[in-house]
Amino acid sequence: MHRQRDSSRRGRQLGWLLLRGDECHGVRRMSPATRAGHECWSYEDQGLFDAYARRCVDAGLAAGERVWYVPSHNSEVTPLPGGDAVRVIRFAEAYAGDQVVDPAGQVAAYAAATEDALAAGFTGFRVVADVTPLVRTDEQRDAFARYEYVIGRYMRHHPMSAVCAYDRGELGEHAVAELACLHESSHAAGVTFQLHPGATSAEAVLDGELDTSAGELFATALRRTDLDRAGDEVVVDGSGLRFIDHRALLTLQRYAESQSTTAVLRTRLGAVARLAGLLELTHVRVEAAR
Amino acid sequence: MTRTGAAAGYHGYYHEAVCYESDDDLLAVAVPFLLGGAAAGEPTIVALGERAASVVRAALPGDAPITFMSGGAMYARPAGAIRAYRKLLAGHVAAGAPQIRIIGELTADLFGPVWDSWARYESAINHAYDEFPLWSMCAYDMRTAPAQVYEDVLRTHPRTARPDGTHVPNETYVDPVTFLSDRRLPVPDPLQRAAPRADIAEPTLGDARQAVRDADGGRLAPDDVDDLIVAVSEAVANAYRHGRAPVRLRLWSSADRIVVTVTDGGPGPKDPFAGLLPTGDGLAGGLGLWIAHQSCDHVAMYRDAGGFTIRLTTGN
Repeated sequence: MHRQRDSSRRGRQLGWLLLRGDECHGVRRMSPATRAGHECWSYEDQGLFDAYARRCVDAGLAAGERVWYVPSHNSEVTPLPGGDAVRVIRFAEAYAGDQVVDPAGQVAAYAAATEDALAAGFTGFRVVADVTPLVRTDEQRDAFARYEYVIGRYMRHHPMSAVCAYDRGELGEHAVAELACLHESSHAAGVTFQLHPGATSAEAVLDGELDTSAGELFATALRRTDLDRAGDEVVVDGSGLRFIDHRALLTLQRYAESQSTTAVLRTRLGAVARLAGLLELTHVRVEAAR
Repeated sequence: MTRTGAAAGYHGYYHEAVCYESDDDLLAVAVPFLLGGAAAGEPTIVALGERAASVVRAALPGDAPITFMSGGAMYARPAGAIRAYRKLLAGHVAAGAPQIRIIGELTADLFGPVWDSWARYESAINHAYDEFPLWSMCAYDMRTAPAQVYEDVLRTHPRTARPDGTHVPNETYVDPVTFLSDRRLPVPDPLQRAAPRADIAEPTLGDARQAVRDADGGRLAPDDVDDLIVAVSEAVANAYRHGRAPVRLRLWSSADRIVVTVTDGGPGPKDPFAGLLPTGDGLAGGLGLWIAHQSCDHVAMYRDAGGFTIRLTTGN
């Protein structure tokens, strides 16, 4: 449960963060051209993350965005410029360590925060957060991974961006990899592929390279998507795919079969269609990416 | 419904060689073989080279229910040919065929540096097609076949069909497990005389794939490069999964050919059919070498003092 020490009359709780003082001024029409980013930053060196976080904060401010910065518990936070545009939020003020995130609730909270930022005249909303305390247990990590995927879709369509930082030394490489691969991009997380949401719940984007090193990670990542099971097909946009081996194709096949759907994998790699033919996949159809 | 002709009463794959010295010799064997199959209502197929096919076609009645396939397309890659034929045979059996007759031909263009892989094909199919009621004749034009090819033909075909209508056992025939277990050194590729373009100890799979991308001079078809990347990645994955350290990748390239060797310190696969047939459903492995064999123009696997090497070649 949250400790709402500062939930003043004007404040309201937004999932695992506590928003203080901002009032909603209505929804501003947002430019569809706005393209946000969802980045994972894995670190062992606190200093490196702090420095990167500061650059991200500065970049957000320079772009006219409202910025929330949630530093690590032992980050050194120097005074930040930007006045009301930037807020530093300490986890200890807003978070109880056993919280399991509610993906839909957290997305709604960030949607409201984005709208607030726009209504207040900012160009967008940026979050730079060390979320290590939210993924310490398997249950937490599973829920947060699902959240990471769905918030990515919100960011595709709205002027919100985020850097999600994880302490690799504390969590371990495997746990970080499970989360990192669900972002649009990742840094030092040891993953070779990214599975992130497409424009609709029936589409995912698969970038990078998948070979034996992807192993179970890809299967776990697929399970954590919210790919729409209602339709006959789901689309996996592999236009940024550089390589996928037969094991990963079989993993995709098993996933699609388990969901009683067909995965349409769109890729520029001609070899993928030939591999799918050799494997005689029944639940994966490979198409040429446009 | 029972099998007819020389294979009547035989169970499984009745595999014969036809070593012809003249077109008349070929016709003396092929025509009665094909017409007998057609008369019996058996699926009857010709997969000869272009020249031999035209000779045979001209000797057959125009209305004979005989299917002509392109031998060149069928015999592009050994593992691919096995896969295609197995599907073809399974389809005919499912449709109720008591026997399928095929006369095929490996032509002179396969008698050079890639012959070793086709000799292995000829041996492996004794096992790979044995679940089907197949009677096939593999035609070899002795006017173009080198002595090594003829020797291998006799070692890989249990019997020979002769122009006089007889079917005689080949005394030097050896069972496929024995033949395939002898992993002879392949003919060295001329590119291998020079220092390799890349020589990577303990490569990651990503390193291996990038080495191929870097070697692409733009003269190979993009699909061929994509496929070679698949083959090399699978070979390296196989070395780490089943082989022993150290693993080493070497790559040679010219404008229109890339040669990659992947060596590990182990003895290589125990399964003599590795690469030619899938050995599992892929969930627990077993497909990597099979996919590698279908994703490049030539594969050689051999043992020497350095361990086990798989050599993958694509291009001219």
